Amino acid sequence: MIVYDKKLLDNQILVDEAQTLYKGGFISKEQKKFVQNELPVFKSQENILVRIGFFLLSSLLYGSICGAISIFGISAENAYFQISFYIFAVVGFAGSEILAKQNFHNHGLDDAFILGTIMNIGIAIAITTEGYEAVIAFFMAVASICMFLRYLHLLSMLAFCLSVTAFLFYQMFEFGDIGKAILPFVAMIFAVFFYFLTKKMMYSLTKSYYLNGLLLANSFCLVLLYLSCNYLVVRELSAELLGAEVKPGTDIKFAFFFYAFTFIVPIVYLAQALRTKDRIMLWIGFLAIGFSIYTIRFYYAVLPVEVALTLGGLILFAIAYFSIRKLKEKESGLTFKPDRINHSDAFLNAEALVVASAFGMKPEVKPQDSPMEFGGGGFSGGGSSESF
Amino acid sequence: MKKFNEQATAGLYEKGLITENQFEEIKSYRSLNIFSINTELKLFLYLSVLLFTSGIGILIYENIDSIGHIAILSVLLVVIAVCFFYCFKNSKGFQKTETKFEHPVLEYLVLLANILTCIFIGYLQFQYKPFGEHYGLATLIPTTVSFFCAYYFDNRSVLTIAITGLAAYVGLSVTPQDLLHINDFYASQNLSYSAVMLGVLLILWTIYSNRIGLKTHFGLVFLTFALHIISISSISNLTGYVVTWMLFAVVLAASTYYFYKVSYAYKAMSLYVFMIVYGYIGANIVLFRIFGDVDFSDIWELLVLLLPAYFVGSIVMFVILIKNFHKKITA
Repeated sequence: MIVYDKKLLDNQILVDEAQTLYKGGFISKEQKKFVQNELPVFKSQENILVRIGFFLLSSLLYGSICGAISIFGISAENAYFQISFYIFAVVGFAGSEILAKQNFHNHGLDDAFILGTIMNIGIAIAITTEGYEAVIAFFMAVASICMFLRYLHLLSMLAFCLSVTAFLFYQMFEFGDIGKAILPFVAMIFAVFFYFLTKKMMYSLTKSYYLNGLLLANSFCLVLLYLSCNYLVVRELSAELLGAEVKPGTDIKFAFFFYAFTFIVPIVYLAQALRTKDRIMLWIGFLAIGFSIYTIRFYYAVLPVEVALTLGGLILFAIAYFSIRKLKEKESGLTFKPDRINHSDAFLNAEALVVASAFGMKPEVKPQDSPMEFGGGGFSGGGSSESF
Repeated sequence: MKKFNEQATAGLYEKGLITENQFEEIKSYRSLNIFSINTELKLFLYLSVLLFTSGIGILIYENIDSIGHIAILSVLLVVIAVCFFYCFKNSKGFQKTETKFEHPVLEYLVLLANILTCIFIGYLQFQYKPFGEHYGLATLIPTTVSFFCAYYFDNRSVLTIAITGLAAYVGLSVTPQDLLHINDFYASQNLSYSAVMLGVLLILWTIYSNRIGLKTHFGLVFLTFALHIISISSISNLTGYVVTWMLFAVVLAASTYYFYKVSYAYKAMSLYVFMIVYGYIGANIVLFRIFGDVDFSDIWELLVLLLPAYFVGSIVMFVILIKNFHKKITA
């Protein structure tokens, strides 16, 4: 199923390992370079900026090829319109094949063709079935899982997870109001089931080619599980789908369960993440806690926003300060010392950028219009950092 | 998954690419089971500073007439003083090279103190107008303070605040989200000239700092700002009048050439990529303007057919450019 040469895939793993060992200071630069010269690998881009650039360029190329084909077909008008997107999908698939044969992998160029194929299949099915959502989601899921299995393409795995979830939702809608009412519970059971399934599959893998994809699906299940029974999501969705207005003094059905779920799940995630040393789950846990706080503030403005921000800042500072003090000298297990092997400091490099966006000073061209614009950019920064 | 990492290390060892000692060292390090939350905790500190200062900012804004001004000012002043006191006490003093605090929290205290100082001066100006109508001065003072903090405590985040302040002084908004939308380069040509001047100034300052060996690691921050300011202001002027667009085309070409050289010197991929992107966009606009007057209406189908070839050519060019750069910086 995998299009790439197995030898190259194995080499890639070894070279990546050599790279991490070099960064951790275990092997010398000469050794790393020797490994790189010794083992041929894929043409890939580690730098995300370059990858996005190539993705955009490649999308332009794909688009222009489709445009050139359309010139020939445009005279056939409606008949051409019916089949055009199937042709585009075939073009995308052919492009992905050619790039894969040239050993492009995670390069940006291949991303555009692979994702383009999936998207065009979706559009083509939509035209043929006149917008029947469940069928579209089904075919997109099939297309993306094929793309993932063939090209080991992680974004396709994400597309697969999303379209499978969409398929589940649209299928539930077919059952009418009952289906919509039990949707949260079905989604929850679905997420739990696939969480354990992917976990089991990861443990039974003998080769690590599909590992990252499974890891992604696994994390997706965690996110879906949290969102499926989050109070805010359930309440807003039920208002949207069932038209159930929540009158003052009343609440949605099983409100108690959803409230409990909103708070217990993030805590379970955090505890489990720290126990099993699972970084992805830790991050999902942090984000879930943030969203739970947002959920409460969405319905009950307990504190005015400025007090909440100030207090939140103080509490967060205290948590971080005492954790650092506690963990600073530990040598193993949970620690504050940077890990030599997995250090994820990409965010810290972007720190300055975030400061500039949130607190950069703005010129005061028209001071009479907005009195708060001058000098202390901190004021205007208040709004933009609320999104945290 | 740990077992695959261990497999990979074992693979390297079996191929004789790492020595036995190294293999043992790696194995014993892995068995320590380290789970470092260094990044996460630093992120928390950072978020807490952002939340706290935003909260204080809104608090002051909302209560500008209700709580006693003196009370607010004095509370702010006390907090700032406490922060700076700790920072100065624990800093090793000014050094020309890169320095770090012993304790990671202090870096964020500097940021906090700095943002609060900016808020303080802004509030002061709003309420008491000590600088009268000289709004420029009200911007310049926080900028000076920020530059001082950035250089004294060696703090990059503060440095970016200082640079945005400097740009604000000449009338530009260079915060990342505004750089593309707010500044109306098209409407006011003077703004574009001052933008280019500011960019050149930043470049000159970097060159001078390099020569005297003053905080050379700040160079990349200055150059990043310079690249974006110069390129965006010249590109938005490329659609303007005849004489100006040619002038700005020359400016863009010169800056692209300079940043091509400098990104090799700094081995900075981020500079290199954006340099290429801006150069490419600029070249396309220039091409479009040159051929803009030719009447293509008879052969437009041919043009559409040529388009894929044009993009293939561009892709090949970019691939080669990036590949050369990779070779140079890893060599």
